[in-house]
Amino acid sequence: MKSKSKILLASLVVLSGSTSLATVAYADPISFILCGDEVFPTQQQAMDDWAAANPDYPVEVQLVGWAQCQDRATQLAIAGDPVGLAYVGSRTVKQYAINDLIVPIPMSEEEQASYHNYVPETVTFEGQQWGVPVAFSTKALYWNKDLFEAAGLDPEVPPTTWEEKIAFAKQITENTDSAGYGVVAKTMDNTMHQFLHWVYSNNGQVIDAEGNIVLNSPENLEALTALKDIVPYGEEGPTAYEQNEVRAIWLDGGVAMIEAMASAGNLAGEAGMNWGVAPLPQGPSAEGPGTLLITDSLVVFKGTGYEDKAIEFAKFITKPEYQWSYEQENGLTPLRPSEEVAQFVAENPEWAPLIDGIEFGGPEPLFNDYIGLQNVMIEMVQSVVTGQAEPAAALEKAAAELEQYK
Amino acid sequence: MTSTRSASLFALALLAPAILYILAIVAYPLFDTVVLSFTNAALRPAYDFVGWANYERIFGAGNFTEVIIRTFVWTFASVSLKMIIGMFGAVLLNASIPGQTLFRILTMPPWIVPMAIGIFMWGWMYNGQFGMLSGLLQNFGLIAGPFPFLAYGSSAFWATVVTDVWIGVPMVTIYFLASMQSIPKDLHEAAWTDGAGRLYRFRRITLPLMVPAIMTMSLLSLIATFNSFDIIWILTQGGPSNQTTTMIIDTYKTAIGSYRYGEGAARAVVICIFVSIFCIVYFRAVRKLSQGEVK
Repeated sequence: MKSKSKILLASLVVLSGSTSLATVAYADPISFILCGDEVFPTQQQAMDDWAAANPDYPVEVQLVGWAQCQDRATQLAIAGDPVGLAYVGSRTVKQYAINDLIVPIPMSEEEQASYHNYVPETVTFEGQQWGVPVAFSTKALYWNKDLFEAAGLDPEVPPTTWEEKIAFAKQITENTDSAGYGVVAKTMDNTMHQFLHWVYSNNGQVIDAEGNIVLNSPENLEALTALKDIVPYGEEGPTAYEQNEVRAIWLDGGVAMIEAMASAGNLAGEAGMNWGVAPLPQGPSAEGPGTLLITDSLVVFKGTGYEDKAIEFAKFITKPEYQWSYEQENGLTPLRPSEEVAQFVAENPEWAPLIDGIEFGGPEPLFNDYIGLQNVMIEMVQSVVTGQAEPAAALEKAAAELEQYK
Repeated sequence: MTSTRSASLFALALLAPAILYILAIVAYPLFDTVVLSFTNAALRPAYDFVGWANYERIFGAGNFTEVIIRTFVWTFASVSLKMIIGMFGAVLLNASIPGQTLFRILTMPPWIVPMAIGIFMWGWMYNGQFGMLSGLLQNFGLIAGPFPFLAYGSSAFWATVVTDVWIGVPMVTIYFLASMQSIPKDLHEAAWTDGAGRLYRFRRITLPLMVPAIMTMSLLSLIATFNSFDIIWILTQGGPSNQTTTMIIDTYKTAIGSYRYGEGAARAVVICIFVSIFCIVYFRAVRKLSQGEVK
């Protein structure tokens, strides 16, 4: 009995010793929440390269479906068990930052300058960067040339102004069985996004650099009024449709014009549609082609003990050579201008409108409560689209409500 | 005396795992939710007690009363339809007709199909551009163009009710059918001998004897429907313009969507109070039924 106890004790000592040795040899892995159901080849390559260069800091990827991805990272952080870094929508970085959940990720001037216009601003709050941009999307106008022709319009000439956009939509609605323009107004975030297309193609803003709500500006009144004016020439019941559903209607020939990102062109090609793409038409106050600039970012959570290494990894995996390859794998708008990008756009001119709008584009506004912002904006758009409110009144109401969320 | 005491202790010991289980998964979370409802818990790990502020905020906001009323209308409409259609279905399935077993099997799919898949299917049927319902109505000349059922407050509200009814009816039907089949046949035979017609027998024999089943099913359905989340969330996310936002959707949007856990907990407590009232009514009804007070 005694000898058995000794053997057991010795075994425990050996086991605990081996565990300690393992702890000494390997630090905690950098836990990394990645959204989706696969690690893309470029990401895997980057992680392999990182592992080779940093054997003491292996990366442990947790793949989480898009619908739960951000909530998963957030809940873990709130519960005091944060992951090292996570893929999130940049719109939430301010909310994370003011709640002390993430650490700043300083960017040198050189690093900031390497990105397209406004991209660093999508992750900047109180003069600091809080994320590393990892995915970028911009929007352009896609049109069905056959429907243009059927309506008596020149199929090669897209609208360039709101006035033309509304007039073309009217002509198509009246002369074909299809609607002229795809209005997005379902209770989803992209309803706000489509309104922001109008805002940024008319030199508007939601919140200015000083933190003042400027949603009720004359530029935005023009934007919401134009949206209201085009609704009669959109699909029936736009509050039933979100962006991808409107795109499906467009692919089916149910509407002639939509505002979408690059994937719309790929799908139209697969569907055999005769299509074109152009910068978003400009409003009366526009100073140039604008679009909505949406980025996703890698944020580093506070409290892991290896924040510096996580920041290093976030910058490593988004280095230009990996990033450009990742963007090509996913059909994303390039985050950085470069010779390769210029050459790519020259060879693929359908990408030009998606790049041209960046100069006068704007980001998703950063608010303390992003969902609060989103709900207010959706309600505002829906109230106008359904005729329950006039644009001026809806803007004033929404602007007042936004004060609590800024 | 000693043996009685040891028997009680033994019974308690047997019950202990279940008691601990209930304490862990029901009592503690409930207590924690009530505590949380008096705090400003949000994204930040630390939080403060704010007294009744969350309750003042939700009842002072104005639209919460609308949400409560909408929830009751939604629940009442859905439960009523489930009971009526369920009873009608049970009567049909109880009738001696050829293929009776097949019809009973065909009643089950809405219950068997995973709920989310069934809801997505309805979402497509309600689609104005590609949906079956809009297409059929157009083919019959009842509407001129595509009609997206989820686009308008009123049609979206009723669309979610119809989907909830579709999912809930099979259980009600089967329950009512079982209750109907437990009624002694000789009662019907005696009435038939006396010349009573089908409707008379249903009204004077079947229905009165099914009152306990109807009450039980109504109350259970009421509780489940009141807290129904999946259907509305998948179909409309509470829109358009919050016209399908019920209390449970409102709570989810506040607590999980906006990370306002304290305020969300206060909303959850209000739901809990309503559901508790339903439960009290249910248990009192069950007690009366077991004492034979309801005939």
